[in-house]
This record gives sequence, structure tokens and C-alpha cells, in this order.
Amino acid sequence: METQEKEVKGSVQSAENPGLTAPADWQPVIIGILCNWCSYAGSDLTGTSRIQYPPNIRIIRVPCSSRVDPWFIIKSLQATADGVLISGCHPGDCHYIAGNYYARRRFLVIKNLLNFVGYHENRVQFSWVSAAEGAKFAQVVAKVTDDIKKLGPLHRYKKENF
Amino acid sequence: MARVGVFVCFCGANIADFVDVPAVVEEVKKIREVKYAVYYKYMCSDPGQQIIKDAIAQYRLTSVVVAACSPRMHEKTFRRAVSEAGLNPYLLEIANIREHSSWVHQKNKKAATEKAGDLIRMAVAKSIANEQLHEISVPVTKRALVIGGGIAGIQAALDIADAHIPVVLVERSPSIGGRMAQLDETFPTLDCSQCILTPKMVDVASHPYIELIPYSEVIGLEGYVGNYKAKIKKKASYVNFSLCTGCGACTQKCPVKVPNEFNMGIDKRKAIYTPFPQAVPNKPVIDAEHCNMLLKGKCGICSKVCEKGAIDYTMKDEVIEREIGAVVVATGYDLWDPKPYEEYGVGRFKDVITSLEFERMVSASGPTGGLPIRPSDGKVPKTVVFIKCIGSRDEAKGIEYCSKICCMYTAKHAILLHHKVHDSRAYVFYMDVRAAGKGYEEFVKRAQVETGTTYLRGRVSKIYKMGDKLMVRGEDAQLGQVVEIEADMVVLATAIIPYKTNPALARLLGISYDKYGYLSEAHPKLRPVETAKAGIFLAGCTQAPKDIPDTVAQASACAAKVCGIFSGDALKKDPMISVVNPDYCSGCQNCVQVCPYQAITTEEIPITRGSKETRTVAKINEGVCQGCGSCAAVCRSMAISLKGFTDSQIINEIVSI
Amino acid sequence: MNYTKQIQDIASKLFTEGKIDIFIGYQQNSFDDNQVPVLITDPAEIPKLVFSDKSVFNLTNYLKFEHTKNKRVGLVVKGCDSRSLNLLLTEKQVKRENLYVIGVCCEGVTDDNGAKAKNCEVCVMPDPVVYDEILGNPSGKKPYRVDPDVAEVAKMPLVERADYFEEIFQNCIRCNACRHSCPLCYCSKCCIDQETSTLYNGSNTVSSAVHALLTWSMHLAGRCVDCRNCEKACPSHLPLHLLHKQNEKVIFENFQEHLSGMIADDRGAFYKYNQKDPDDFIM
Repeated sequence: METQEKEVKGSVQSAENPGLTAPADWQPVIIGILCNWCSYAGSDLTGTSRIQYPPNIRIIRVPCSSRVDPWFIIKSLQATADGVLISGCHPGDCHYIAGNYYARRRFLVIKNLLNFVGYHENRVQFSWVSAAEGAKFAQVVAKVTDDIKKLGPLHRYKKENF
Repeated sequence: MARVGVFVCFCGANIADFVDVPAVVEEVKKIREVKYAVYYKYMCSDPGQQIIKDAIAQYRLTSVVVAACSPRMHEKTFRRAVSEAGLNPYLLEIANIREHSSWVHQKNKKAATEKAGDLIRMAVAKSIANEQLHEISVPVTKRALVIGGGIAGIQAALDIADAHIPVVLVERSPSIGGRMAQLDETFPTLDCSQCILTPKMVDVASHPYIELIPYSEVIGLEGYVGNYKAKIKKKASYVNFSLCTGCGACTQKCPVKVPNEFNMGIDKRKAIYTPFPQAVPNKPVIDAEHCNMLLKGKCGICSKVCEKGAIDYTMKDEVIEREIGAVVVATGYDLWDPKPYEEYGVGRFKDVITSLEFERMVSASGPTGGLPIRPSDGKVPKTVVFIKCIGSRDEAKGIEYCSKICCMYTAKHAILLHHKVHDSRAYVFYMDVRAAGKGYEEFVKRAQVETGTTYLRGRVSKIYKMGDKLMVRGEDAQLGQVVEIEADMVVLATAIIPYKTNPALARLLGISYDKYGYLSEAHPKLRPVETAKAGIFLAGCTQAPKDIPDTVAQASACAAKVCGIFSGDALKKDPMISVVNPDYCSGCQNCVQVCPYQAITTEEIPITRGSKETRTVAKINEGVCQGCGSCAAVCRSMAISLKGFTDSQIINEIVSI
Repeated sequence: MNYTKQIQDIASKLFTEGKIDIFIGYQQNSFDDNQVPVLITDPAEIPKLVFSDKSVFNLTNYLKFEHTKNKRVGLVVKGCDSRSLNLLLTEKQVKRENLYVIGVCCEGVTDDNGAKAKNCEVCVMPDPVVYDEILGNPSGKKPYRVDPDVAEVAKMPLVERADYFEEIFQNCIRCNACRHSCPLCYCSKCCIDQETSTLYNGSNTVSSAVHALLTWSMHLAGRCVDCRNCEKACPSHLPLHLLHKQNEKVIFENFQEHLSGMIADDRGAFYKYNQKDPDDFIM
């Protein structure tokens, strides 16, 4: 895939706006919103274990995936982010009993809605990463980064004035 | 205008080797709100903390960002430092540039440096929206509720009461004592169970700080740590305990005979009964399901023989309430019913019995006077086969887990059999001998050597009858042979399981339970006695199978936890919880619906100041809220915000990159 | 479908018996053959009331305003309107004892051109689910169908779809008429209007429109009853139902939820969960 991108005038096309391109060495910005008890702890473990992953993700800590209001995702996509990753505890492991079950329903709906109005489905991704899954966190970030790199920069609805 | 100070840590070489820290500091200085930025080798060290404290005073900082390791590591350290400099500790934010940058991007210093800069920018933006927060103080009712009067409940109650904290001990049966009261002797020392237990039972009854409520069940619990209100149903005993002297005339004269649960149905008790001679309280109760007077209105003998007039057939169940601050759950275990083991003749052969039936037989106060006898003909068995792992470690018929105590009590039974019947011979079929514990391996050795018990590794395939003997056919896996033993009696080491009522109790208490029905601890290793709900603790086999020493240790641990809660007049709580802005609340109560802790209720407030008309708005109970933020995310009018993770804080982070 | 006479009779009976303070119904427009809502406090105005297949608006919207709050109100509801009323009751916005509800078994209303309205084509419940008195003959629940417009848009390739929606969002003038006309947008202080909130800056940019409309449709996901008051109110004639019907489709297909407002005390899909909910979209 990467070789293909280079063929297109040495630049990266945006999946939603094929006319718009970025330089070949373009790096996406990904916002990661992680729950404190599982995924944030898991990402700490990735660090402690010195497992390497792509440096594009910027992590925000929230207490629980149920704290994630869908408009955080919309806002992120309108800010600098080219992609968003939301991660929480595995179903059944929620520190707050059932927060991730409620969150999961909202995530499915907002993911489909964003895709419906013209965002590529891979712009917003979700994962369950436990505090023990440092390696999984690195894999998830690598996959999301790779996916977003293929999609190219996100141009639509970038907020004009912050 | 915010004045932010940024303190970037080298963490020795941990950060500095992979992130160009001085360059990051220069970059950060360009942020408008940053009035001071500096780096240091170890920010968490005393001189490092001093740098922060001095800068707060010198630059009149309104918030502080420390860029170092994970907030899960040193957030508390730096909060304390900030607080010592006179700044509210919650005006601190951590940028995690070690776990999230230097350690994971070791091959790309440029990107790691850039990312560290972004992470600091995000923390600075968030800190600008930080508010001063203050620890919440919740008053506590210094009284504990212990559910279950077995050895776990007894130990917890005594330990708490010895610290001069009132305890309410609720037991569902007429007497405390639990399973341990049914045991004859205890491994690995073979001291008599009754001899070590009954003094504790008497202590409970006479302790000035313990209110013993027997023959009762907890039917409701509301509130939160330090402020629970328990509803306790006192089942009708039909005996006025304050009049009863426990003389026993009624139990002697009662004409109705019922299988005796305490003796595993080996003998009979009366419809009015005390479960066992050393019962505490030693007062009889009437079993309403079998009493002729209560069922048919005929009889009344107990009432006639009672000199004190303590019998009251009109007694009703009564619900009482107690205000308490903490709960210890110690509901114990039940025995797994070995019925699925049809090939062992369970239910068909009378001489195939369970281990607790054997235990009652060899008990000096038991139904057979301390001698094992064959239920079929009353003869004393000479050859006894013990089979372990009946139900345990058996995914097909029973449960997956190891019941933990069977290896040891089977060794004990082999020894006890030898003590009671000197010319007997015991065989033990086992899968593994799990004798981990102080003196346990020696104890098993003792059974094998001293009593000559034959341990056979393998499963029994079939038991059939030949004359009055039981033929036990099994495999000796070590010899690779099929063996057949002519036995007089077979004892099945049945698995232990939680009580069927555990899930209902868990729901009532608001705690969780696993797929077997054992109540779940908050963390399997580091918080083994706490539950996910603050102020509720677990002791004994209600949490997982365990032996008496472990149970007692856990019960004492519960007591220590309870005493910890009650050590001050108020509980201190993390202030990062939700708060409602009543002006914006539309009263839809979606938050009430999603709150996992039932922390949200509603209140009526005037529509406008001084108005008589009211409207309903959400109200958050500070004592209960754990700060998950579910409510904040479902609040459409954004009336709820989660302190420490407000919408503004998170949005500031998002837009700052 | 003409219940003008019956509704006038019931309204006048309610006023005579002193059961209500206000009656909410429809009246004929003076300049065309469409109808507009009318709030009647004086029984003398009862002859104004009409009801026909031109009675398109969802009158439960008027229960959120100050002059109907805590008053005894009589009103007319069709199937979809009664579902939003059910939600308002569940969400404690109105008191049942304050209402006298005339439920009409709806045979479908017409749009401005006299054709059957598009939401009536995919209606799942023409009969009222909450009422004190029912007019017409119930025809029963209809099977759920995916909105044909949603299906059509979903078929477009991504870039085309993105362009399609960008045009829609560009035409939004941020007048908030959609919110104002929605019976379920009753918040005393909408998130859009909160000065302290960083959610919206109030500027009329396409990104703020996207943000507002998507957040709004998420707030209505699992609740929207497809009355299309918002679309009728929109001065730019945006196909707002696309967003709501898309969410409804996802919720119906994944959570097997009966549609919003169909039963009492049901808050919608986001306020409950099933452990077996779809999980395969999560890594």
C-alpha cells in the first residue's frame, strides 16, 4: 500500500477528498482517549516493557470509557486529529461495573453515523485493552496508525476558528 | 490570566536519552500561558520538588504541569509538593512523557521530542481549566454489620468488637457456629473443633459490643460507605427468647420428628429444636414447616410443658433496621450434591456417604456416638474407601475449580478412622495430593505412614454391590492396573460450593459475584478482602474455597479494614466526582438510570428563587459517587460535570494539539 | 381522515367540565390549505379546531413551553406524536395527570404537495400508544423498514456521500429551528447555548453546523420518533431525517430495540445494555 501511495505523485491522498494530497512524509495526528483503569494502565505497561509503537498518537486520560461523550470524537476530528482511538476495559472488567457496556452502544452508533456522513470508517476506531495487555496496546496503535496513514489527511470540516 | 509552570524531568537517562528535553522546554516556553519552564534530572527527588515549590511562589503560578512519568506513578507525590507550596493540589497536571513517549519511541528522537512537546501542550491546556478541589469528608456511623455467624463471621465480629466498635452479627440459622461446629477435629493438628470454637461462640454472645441477631436474614441495604442502613428480617421463632431459659423440656416432649440437618440427616430432631447442644444462643426455635400446632392447629405440647410460658404461636416475622458504616459478608459454603455420580451408586447404595456425613459420625457428640457405622446395617466398617475430587476439578459433572480442603480432610478422615476403628483399613483414590500449607504435607505423610492408609492415584470407574460389600473398581495409574477393592463403606469428598442465595445477596448489597456464585473481591491479589463497593468486605468461603486458618486470617483482615474506616470521625474521599448544575438540569433522570452506584437521586428546587412552584433536578450523593463520569456523558444539557475531567478540560486537551 | 367534529366536541366537553386550562390542536391556515397548531384557552375559539390529513405537526412539542408547564392540557396526538409523548412521560417532562390525550388512529398525513408524507411511508405505529380517548380504528403495528432515503445515501461511494453531506451542512444557517421544533429537545439550557461550554462557539461555520447537527442527532438517537417537525421547521429544507433514521437503523439492527417511545418507561437504547451487544467493531 505504501508503495502505491508513493506512486501517486509522491504524495498521500485524502480518502474523503481525493483531490487533496499531503507530502509523502506526512505524519497523521491520532487522538487516543483511554480509560484510566485498564487501557491507560496498559499503555503504561507498554512503556515499562519498552515495546515500541508509532509516535503519532496523543493520549488523553479519562476515568472510564463511559465518560467519552460522542462529541469528544466529533471535536477531535474537527481539531488536528486525522483519526481517533478510544480504548477501555474489556467487557465485564469495567472498574465501574458496567460503564463500558453503555459506552459500547454509543460507540457503535457514532461510528456508523460518522461513516454515514462521509468519514472513512477507519477514522474512528475502538479497542479493549486491559492493564496487562501492554503488547496489545502497541499492536492496536500500530494498526490504527497504519490505517490512518493509508487514509491520508483529514480535510473535511476542520474547524476554521478555535 | 493563567500562569502555568512547566517542570520537565530527565528521569535520569530514561527520558533525556530519547527526548531532547532542553529543546522541549524551549518549545513549551512559547505557549502564552506558560510563565516558567525548567528541566531537572529527577523532579520527584526532594531538590526537584523544591524547584516546583520555589517557582510557585516566585512566579505566582496558578497551575503546575510536571512532565515526567505516568500520573499513576507520581501524581500523589507532586500533588503533595504543590499543596505544600500553598497551591491547591488539584491544580497539578502530569504530562506522561516517559511511558507514553521516551520509552516507546526509542528509535526516533525527533518524533519522541515532538510528541513530548504535544503531551505537555495538552497538559498545560487542561491545567488552565483545572479548578480548585477539596477532599470530601463523609461522616461515618461506627457500627459494623457481619453477615454470617460461622467461624469467619465470629472472628470478624470479635476482632471488630475488641476494638470497641459495635457489631451487629446476623445469622440465618438458630445458632452461630456454622460449618465448623459440625466438624469433629481439625487438620493438621487434630484439635477438637468444638473445643476451639465454642469459647469464641460464647464470647460473641457475651461481648458487650456485639449484638447477636440469630435466625435472621439481611433483606435490604441502602446507603454508602460509612452510612449504610440495613434491613434485617427476624424470622419468627415462636419462642420468646427473653422468657426461655433453655431448659429443653419442650424439645424432649415434642412429638414431631424431622431429619436433623446438623447431623446431615443421619438422625432426627424435633419440630421445636436447638440445632446442637452447645448452640449459641441456646434457645429452641419452632420449625414452622413441621410443627403440628402451626400447620394444623393441633398439639400445643411445647406450650403446655413450658413453665415460663415462652412459646408464642402467634409470633410473626419482624423487620428491624440498623444504621451501620461497614459490612463484612461471611456466608460460608454449601456442599455440592454428588447425585450426578450415578456410577458410584450415589442415592442407591446406602453405604456410599459424603465426607460431612462421615465427619458427623466420627464426632463424639454426633448421631452415632463417635463411631462410623454403615447406614445399611449399623455395622462398623473395616475397609473404607475415600474418593477425592467428587465434583471438584470436574468440568463434565461438577465444577472446574479445586475445592482446596478435600485433600486435607480426607487425610484427617483416614487418621480418624484409624483412631476409632483400630483394625480398619483405608484406601484413598486421588487425582493429586495438594497439601500446601503449614504442617499439611507432614499431616498427609502421617496418614500414609502412621495409619497405613493406601493412597492410589487414579479415578474410580464404578462401584457395585456384592453381597453386603461395595466393590470399588478403579485405576491405579502408577501401576497402570485396574484395582478392585472390597469395601464396607465409601466416603465421597464432595466439592464445596457457595450458597445458592449468594447471587441474590450480592445484588441486594450491590456487589458482584463470579460464575459459580462466589462473591468477587476488588482485586484478586492486592485487594482480596474488599469488594468493588466501598465499605463491604468478604471473609471466608463466600469468596472462594478456603480452610479454617485462611478463613480466620481473612476475617481478621476484614476487621482491620473495618477498623480503618472507623478510625476517624469522617472518611476522606477523592473529590474527583460528578456535580450537577441545577440551573441547566432538565430533570430527565437519564443519569439516575446509568449510574452504576445508585449515587444519583432527585430533589425539588424552586423554579426561581423564592418561588413556591418547584421542579425536579438530579442530585449526586458525594459519599457514593466514584467518579466514573457515565452520567456526565449521557447528560444532554451538560448539567453534570465530572470534576477533574470536565468537558472543558478534555476539550482543551483535544484542541491544543 | 377527518375528526374535526369529534375533536371540537371533546374540547368543548373538557372545557365545560373544567378538566383543562389549555387545548392544543390544529387550525386552518389563512392563506393556504395547510394547518398550523393552535393553543386555545377560551372555549369560544373551539370552532377554529380542525383535524385532517393536513394535521402534520407534532403537538407534543408545545408541552415544553412555559405557558403549558404545570397546566392541565388537552391535546391531539397521532401515532408518532404519542410515542414522543411516551418519552416525555418517561423522562419526567410532563405529568400524565395534567394531560387529556385524544389519540387519533392515523391514516397518514400529506406533505405540501398533497402526496402522502414520506415519514408515513415508513411509519411503524400509526395508532396512538398513549391516550385517554381514541378516534378511528387501530390498524396495528407495522414492521420496521429501513428508510429508503437512508438506504439510497448509504449506497453512495464514500467521497460522493461526503460531498452530499457537505452540501447539506453548508446550507445549515444555525438558526436552531430544528431544535426548537423538536418535542424531545426540551432542555432548559441546550448544550449549544451554554456560554461556558467549549462545545460550540456560536459561529456560523460549516464545522460548527456539523458539530451541532451530529451531536443533536446523537442526543436523539434511540429517542427520535420520526415526526419530522424538525424538517418542516427547517428554512433551508435540509433532509435532517437522514441522520435520525440512520441512527435508528443502527440501533434497530444491532440492539434489537423496539422503536423509541413504543412502550412506557423505556428511555431508549443508550440507557440500557446487553452483555451480548455487538463487539466485533472493537479491537
